[in-house]
Amino acid sequence: MRRKSDGKGTETTARRPLENESRRRFIKGATVAAAGGVAATGTLLADINGGAKAAGKPIPIGGGVPLTGWAATDGIEFKRALELASEEINAMGGILGQPVEPVFEDTKEQGAANIIPAMQRLIDRHEVHAIINGYNTGAVTAEYDTIADAGIIYIHHNTDIVHHQTVGDNPERYSTIFMGDPAEYWYGPGLLQFLNDLDANGLYKRPNNKIAIVTGSQNYSVVIANAIRDSAAKYGWDVSLYETVVIPISEWGPTLAKLRSDPPAVIAVTHWVPQDLAQFMLQFAPTPTNSLIYMQYGPSLAAFREIGKAATDGVLYSTVIGSLQDKIGQDFSDRYRAKFGDSSTPAVGAQVYDSAHYYAIAAALAGGTGGPGEFDQNAKIAARLRRQIHRGVVGTTKFSIPEQAAIPYPDATNDPSLGMPHQYLQIQDWQTEPALVAPSPYQTKQFKMPPWIKA
Amino acid sequence: MIRRDLAIGLIFLACAIALPFLGPSRYVITQLFLFFLWATVVTQWNLVFGVAGIFSLAPMVLFAFGGYAAGMIGLYLEWSLWVALPIAGLGTVLFSLLIGLACLRLRGAYVALLTLAIAQVVYLLIITDTECFFMDGMTCRNFTGGTRGLAKYGDFGFRDLLGRQDWVMGSYFTGLALLALATLASIIIIRSPLGLAFQALRDNPAYAVSQGISRFKYQLLVFALSAFFTGLAGGIYAGHFSVMGANTLYLSLLLFLLSMMVVGGVGSVWGPLLGAAVLMLTDEALKEVIEYRSIGLGLLLVLFAMFWPKGIAGVLNGVNERLKRRFRSRVRS
Repeated sequence: MRRKSDGKGTETTARRPLENESRRRFIKGATVAAAGGVAATGTLLADINGGAKAAGKPIPIGGGVPLTGWAATDGIEFKRALELASEEINAMGGILGQPVEPVFEDTKEQGAANIIPAMQRLIDRHEVHAIINGYNTGAVTAEYDTIADAGIIYIHHNTDIVHHQTVGDNPERYSTIFMGDPAEYWYGPGLLQFLNDLDANGLYKRPNNKIAIVTGSQNYSVVIANAIRDSAAKYGWDVSLYETVVIPISEWGPTLAKLRSDPPAVIAVTHWVPQDLAQFMLQFAPTPTNSLIYMQYGPSLAAFREIGKAATDGVLYSTVIGSLQDKIGQDFSDRYRAKFGDSSTPAVGAQVYDSAHYYAIAAALAGGTGGPGEFDQNAKIAARLRRQIHRGVVGTTKFSIPEQAAIPYPDATNDPSLGMPHQYLQIQDWQTEPALVAPSPYQTKQFKMPPWIKA
Repeated sequence: MIRRDLAIGLIFLACAIALPFLGPSRYVITQLFLFFLWATVVTQWNLVFGVAGIFSLAPMVLFAFGGYAAGMIGLYLEWSLWVALPIAGLGTVLFSLLIGLACLRLRGAYVALLTLAIAQVVYLLIITDTECFFMDGMTCRNFTGGTRGLAKYGDFGFRDLLGRQDWVMGSYFTGLALLALATLASIIIIRSPLGLAFQALRDNPAYAVSQGISRFKYQLLVFALSAFFTGLAGGIYAGHFSVMGANTLYLSLLLFLLSMMVVGGVGSVWGPLLGAAVLMLTDEALKEVIEYRSIGLGLLLVLFAMFWPKGIAGVLNGVNERLKRRFRSRVRS
């Protein structure tokens, strides 16, 4: 099948999810390959290590993560994930017998003035061989030059379409920089395709073609909102409302009044703060409209359900990266919670965890890691990463070329073995974990009509 | 006094020039560069707040204005940032004059409220800028950069000139030159009749006005003078990091800089510099125990507010006075 890159990292083949493929066969195959949790990485990495035990001078692996400031709750999970992955890698013999050691720098409130010095400190003081991060915002890829100057491997999860352009425009200079998740752009067309699939499969009959978009005043939310707006017509939808709210927000009255005056089939809220979104649902519940409600990120956090309680039942949300609810994902979550406690959030840590594992494999296959200034060795590892397909706790990671960003499934490829699942989840009972309703073959439950929608 | 200040300044400058040749890491150079910028902002803020007694919270909005102005000139007019820099500085002066005019009828906490409100309005204007101003490949770019930040407007060219290992030296010396000029200007203003006029208006405005000192003229003058270097600092920041974001307007950063002034000593020549150095060193030390960072910085501020309200400069002056008295009494005896 011919593949071509369109700048978004799309492998444009037939785009439909594999409804007719054998879900059982696929899951079985993946599980055999992975053989439970860490084993996919473990088997391969341990084999490459040839049974060697990790000993000697540790290889420093950096994490430039927000340990204080507004994103600290996520930053702590990124730190924990790198620590857990390092332990597991070392248990398998490290990287060619050399143990890895995680070191961290705080990116505080983020932005260039915090992110760049944190990266520089990891490189200068700790001489890290790779930096594996969750997300940082506000540097607009400005930190790439710091990384490129040192030549080390940098894997982040900034979910930022600017990465595609920065690396795509200058693949040689930024050849060691990878985005381990798909760009936020994919939330747009991905949602519209998901809605059309619900309709096509008879799970939801839309009363009209209207979609209302409510975005928070933050770039992440705006990019997603714009992607939905710009793709709506192509998927047969009309944007009936495009509203920007200044965050944080708890008073949704004016926005709800507009929605109630012209009820759309779908309300897409791309703001992501859980307490704000829970307030939306609490204020929506007394006088609901016959609309599906899709939200961003916030519903994945326990705070959303704890604040909104039963008013959150029926809410849909999605994530382009998160631990799956299959055996591999569940085993990871169990190990994570066993180590860090029940209040920890493995779904957030999963991204860093997977990236650390596939970096270790790539480095081992390339003949070892490379520190700052070791351009040739790091180039070999980067070449490995470009070729590698990794099945981890978040599904499949395969990088698009030349952008070096994870390819989303089914948004950009119809083959789940070549793309990271863009997961659609629904809160069906606020007291239990959300149900993974798409994409096939990863889904664990069927979509349920929200309780406020009257037939 | 002015000779002593100049001597101290020259010693500091000589040390700062020599330091990069002792082989510090690029991280240290980058942190020192940031120190130069924050010290410049605090030194200029001290003129308005400490010397003239105007409780303005505008410095970071002026800093952001300078940075955004330089970035926008680079992006939309495609001019070199070296050309954009002085224009940004002058633009910041005009912006600051407007703020100064708006504050003329206000006193004390009301000036703080108004200037903070202006900063918040600018912040909101930036983060609610969600319309697509132009398409850059497949990326939608907002006029101000929006919440993502303004980027791709070029840089100072140090990477091409000095290579990828040493380019940060270019920023270091640019920042140092700015701080040296800003401090020199600050010394001249504080030690000159102009500074005395500011102090008179701060300490006894009614008496100062009765002596013919125009509050209108001097308040606008101090706003304008301090804004020029603050705007330049913003422009240099934008040129170094190649991105200008609304996070420069976060209240946490403003409070961090205010702490520098409080810890160093409000109204003194060297206090703001000392405060900037101490706060940045403390922040650096607390990186080893990151969970105590906020508590540690807060504790330091509380200690100074309670026990040394005149800051480090006040403590040093006190020690100096005691030593002088002891010396004199020994001479007499």
